[in-house]
Amino acid sequence: MSTNRKDTLRLLAQFSNVGMTMAFSIFIGVGIGYYLDHKVFAGRTSPWLTLIFLGFGVAAAFRNLYAMASRKDL
Amino acid sequence: MEHPILFISLILQNLGLPVPHGPIGDTLLAKLVSPHMTYTWLVMLFLIIVPKLTLGKMSLVPGKGQNFWEVIIGGLEEFMADNMGKEGAKMMFPMLATFAIYILVANMIGLMPGFMSPTSNINITVACTLIIFCTTHILGVKFHGFGYIKHFLGPIPWLIPLMFPIELISHFARLLSLSIRLFGNIMAKETLLGLLFMLAGAYFAPLPILCLGVFVSIVQAVVFLLLSILYFSAAMEHAH
Repeated sequence: MSTNRKDTLRLLAQFSNVGMTMAFSIFIGVGIGYYLDHKVFAGRTSPWLTLIFLGFGVAAAFRNLYAMASRKDL
Repeated sequence: MEHPILFISLILQNLGLPVPHGPIGDTLLAKLVSPHMTYTWLVMLFLIIVPKLTLGKMSLVPGKGQNFWEVIIGGLEEFMADNMGKEGAKMMFPMLATFAIYILVANMIGLMPGFMSPTSNINITVACTLIIFCTTHILGVKFHGFGYIKHFLGPIPWLIPLMFPIELISHFARLLSLSIRLFGNIMAKETLLGLLFMLAGAYFAPLPILCLGVFVSIVQAVVFLLLSILYFSAAMEHAH
C-alpha cells in the first residue's frame, strides 16, 4: 500500500470517530447525571445533577475535539 | 430482524436444541445456541482449520498458501509498526491481529445467504470493545505504574476537579463509539440485505448492497484495528 492511501485510511478512521465521540460524550454525561438524580438521590436533587453532568459531557466532547485538533501527527 | 433462514440454527433445531427465535433466549442452553454464538464458533473454527489446511509445511520458499498468509500477517504487522512503533507492535501483535482477522471474517460471513454476521449482535461487539478497553488501562498501568493517573488529570493542578470527570467521560465515550459503530454498520448491512432479499431477491436487488457490504466489512475491521492501536499508543506514551 502506498503511503498516501495509508494516510487516507488512518484519517478516515480518526475523522469518522469525531462525530460519534462527540454525541456519546454528551449522552454519557446526561446518563450519569440522570442516574444520580433519579436512582441515587431519588429525585431530591432533580434536575441539577443532570444539568451539571450535561455540562461535563459537553466539555468532554469539546475536549476531544481540542485534543484531536492539537495533535502533531495529523 | 434476522435473516430468513440460518443454516446452523436450522440444523440445531432439527437436532432438538431450543434455538431462540428472537435475538436472545431464556435458558442458558438457548443462549448458548443463539445465532450469534453459533456463528462466532463457526468463524473461530474457520480461522483455526483453514490456515492449518492451507499452510501446509512451512518452507523458506513459500508456496501458494503460505504466501497468502505471509502477505496478510506481514501487512498487518507493518501497518501496526507504522502506527505504534516496533516495540508496541511486537507486544500487541497477537491480540490485535486476532481481532482484525476475526472481525473481518465475521463481517464478511454475513454476506452469504444462510449465514449471519456475529458482529451484527451488540453483545459480540461490546465484548470485543471491553477487552480493548481493559487492555488499554492495563497497558497504561504497566508502562507508567501509579503515574498513569496523570493521564486523567489534565495539565493544570487546580483544574483537576473539572478535568477528571471530563476525562472519564471521554474514555467511556470511546468504549461506546467503538462498539456501536461496528455493531451499527454491520447490523444495517444485515438488515438491508435481509429486507431486499425478501422483497426482490429474484431480481438481484441485494447485489449493489452486497458490493457495499464487502467495502463496509473491510473498512470497519480496519477502523476497529486502527482505533485500538491509537488507544494503546495513547496509553503507552507520556501524559502531556
